[in-house]
Amino acid sequence: MPDNLSKLKSYREIDSVKDYRRLMKAYYLIAKNPKWFGKKVAWITSGGAVEPLYAMGVLPFYPENYGAMCGAARTAVSLCETAEAEGYSRDLCSYARCDIGSSFSGKGPLGVLPKPDFLVCGNNICGTVIKWYEIQARAFKVPLFILDTPFIHTELQPHTVTYVRKQMEEYIAFLEKMVKRPFSEQRFLKVSARSLEAVRLWKEILELSRNRPAPFAAFDAFIHMAPIVTLRGTRWAVWYYQKLKKELETRIKNNQGAFAREELRLIWDNIPIWYDIRNLSKMLSRQGAVLVADTYTSAWTLRPVDLDNPLESLSRSYASVHLNLGLDHKVNKMVELMEDYQADGIIMHSNRSCKTYSLNQYDLKKRVVERTGKPGLIIEADHTDARSYAPGQVEKQIETFIEMLKKR
Amino acid sequence: MTAETAFSKIIQELGEIASWNYPEIASHLPPERRALAYFCPFVPEELIQAAGAVPIRLMDTPVKISHAQAHLPAYCCHFVKSALENYLRGDLDFLRGVIFSQSCDSMKGLADIWSLKGRLSFQSNLMVPARLDSPLARDYFKIELEELKKTLEDRLGKITRENLQESVRLFNLLREQIRKLYGRMRSDPLRMSGEDLARIIQAGYRMDRDRYLEILSRLLELWPEQPLGKSPAVPLFLSGNVAHSAGWFSLIDEAGGRIVQDDLCTGGRLLRLQTREDLDPLEALVERYFSAYICPTKYQGPFAHQETLFQEIKESGAKGVIFLFFKYCEPYYFDYPDLKKYLEAQGLPTLLLEIEDPSQAREQLKIRLQAFVEMLS
Repeated sequence: MPDNLSKLKSYREIDSVKDYRRLMKAYYLIAKNPKWFGKKVAWITSGGAVEPLYAMGVLPFYPENYGAMCGAARTAVSLCETAEAEGYSRDLCSYARCDIGSSFSGKGPLGVLPKPDFLVCGNNICGTVIKWYEIQARAFKVPLFILDTPFIHTELQPHTVTYVRKQMEEYIAFLEKMVKRPFSEQRFLKVSARSLEAVRLWKEILELSRNRPAPFAAFDAFIHMAPIVTLRGTRWAVWYYQKLKKELETRIKNNQGAFAREELRLIWDNIPIWYDIRNLSKMLSRQGAVLVADTYTSAWTLRPVDLDNPLESLSRSYASVHLNLGLDHKVNKMVELMEDYQADGIIMHSNRSCKTYSLNQYDLKKRVVERTGKPGLIIEADHTDARSYAPGQVEKQIETFIEMLKKR
Repeated sequence: MTAETAFSKIIQELGEIASWNYPEIASHLPPERRALAYFCPFVPEELIQAAGAVPIRLMDTPVKISHAQAHLPAYCCHFVKSALENYLRGDLDFLRGVIFSQSCDSMKGLADIWSLKGRLSFQSNLMVPARLDSPLARDYFKIELEELKKTLEDRLGKITRENLQESVRLFNLLREQIRKLYGRMRSDPLRMSGEDLARIIQAGYRMDRDRYLEILSRLLELWPEQPLGKSPAVPLFLSGNVAHSAGWFSLIDEAGGRIVQDDLCTGGRLLRLQTREDLDPLEALVERYFSAYICPTKYQGPFAHQETLFQEIKESGAKGVIFLFFKYCEPYYFDYPDLKKYLEAQGLPTLLLEIEDPSQAREQLKIRLQAFVEMLS
């Protein structure tokens, strides 16, 4: 995740960011050189069940995080073009195009990506990942495990829980075959306990921004979310979030916000526009408008794991992530965020690359505005492909929106 | 009436049915049967039929998108946009209800918008597992189908085992007739155009199925034994999603090609849904989705799509493949580069046609098709 906000005067740098950088450097050092550490590598989707992987000593690599990294490093467009030259349509998800382009060219912020020993795909975030992982299974000639979590339009059904739990058992058997080692119940419990702790800390960190001024803006969360995604289940994620939380609590004690000035509190919906985070943050901080919460980073505040029944509770948890829920759930979540964080409005990113997130946004906005009485703005972009973004137009839209909010 | 005239009259009749708009479909339904809509083949038509309703398949229409723009972003396929447009305009108010099934991300989103607007008295969401390679998914899907059956019984009427068996038989017979029709198109290519074939298949999704079986059987009976001669047109395989407008077929006819087989979701792919009659009917309906490759939104192994497609192309005798995709259809566009590479490595040239809506400029597509056909001639 990008960490270049510190140069803004109106922005308060988070001290822990140094530890964050060290931590993520160490993670990518291992990910790039798994053989040095005797690790097998599994490519896994961002919403995939990572705990069994860590329990089996396998290193997870996240192509979506890599896509975000390409976006932030502004290398995404050339990687997308490489994929397009191979026949992949420009209308396809740009995370996938970055990853595919990188696989073809060996280029990108990490150079040649670590070859997966196998792939683990959870479709709780979208159907796109199934196609993307099929492509990589063919390209790398490695096994693919799909953890299927049927979409929840209304309620999570008992037979869905059974289906997902049984697949978890199948997943474990798959891992045993891949690493040629029996699964350790004890080790899994330890990893699950660490995952539970990291998720709890991450949730508490995000909730600290219910304070006025908010100590942690969504732009910070976009950066500092990397450990909850990649290192969930390790002691490193727990260690890092304990440290970050402490720092933010001190900010609250000292009445310090993420931005020097907080006049407006906003909620962000969808994945960030990675290549323009710095510019948007600068613009918002100038206006005293803080993104106090978002629907993206809060997606990793998963339901807590029940350590007496970890497989069942992990199944429930992974089946019910934000993107696997229907419109009513999304409206309720957004209204809850608006109320809990005392927000003045919403900025929604209509993201060409993510239909799961974006398809219902017009109705989502309409219903949230009706229920909260707070206005919303939809801006159009793509999470990593800057060719689908008109920055001048979006800035103007946001400025006008903020002006309107200030007059209310 | 001569046999030849009767033959032409049937083609004309089915062509008219295919061109009906929704109010016309409604006015031609048998009075004792209500219409129940669905979008994709994962919803078994057999269950709807057995419950006493007529299954109406919702397909893309050339409607001007206006109301739907307030609900959907631009980067969404015409199929989804036109379905929502028809729904919001009230064109579908004659339906008793609709059954959505889990397929692509856009359809998931459409199901929620549909439900929010609540124009129809009932909507059911059939959750189809994304992996159709596992006994766990089979158990799950069986429960889903049992629940759908209960819902239909509550809304429409009891579905007995006998009713369902009869319905399975009816749809198997229909598919057998359609298989024969494709066969006749190959052996006697000058008799009927690809455009007519498209209309005949389209008509079947919007009318009483007993009547459809009657008409199809009559058409095949009247089809002369002696072929009209050899066609100079290039035999082509049409591969794609739900784009079934007869206009695309006529474009291929005009360019000098002829479709010998297709795997369109609304076309030849339905032949893969043949259902075993020696099993419990519900069990057999579940089983068919696990024994054939139906849709790229589902996982049945990383090579399932290319293996199935290649096999069907080989059997059809096609000399080239046309991919016809709605723009923004992720599952197909993700598969396309590997399919193209694989087929071309087997000596099968391919051409991709991307379409947004049926009203778009045909001439540009026709020029590309003509160049492709010329290359194969």
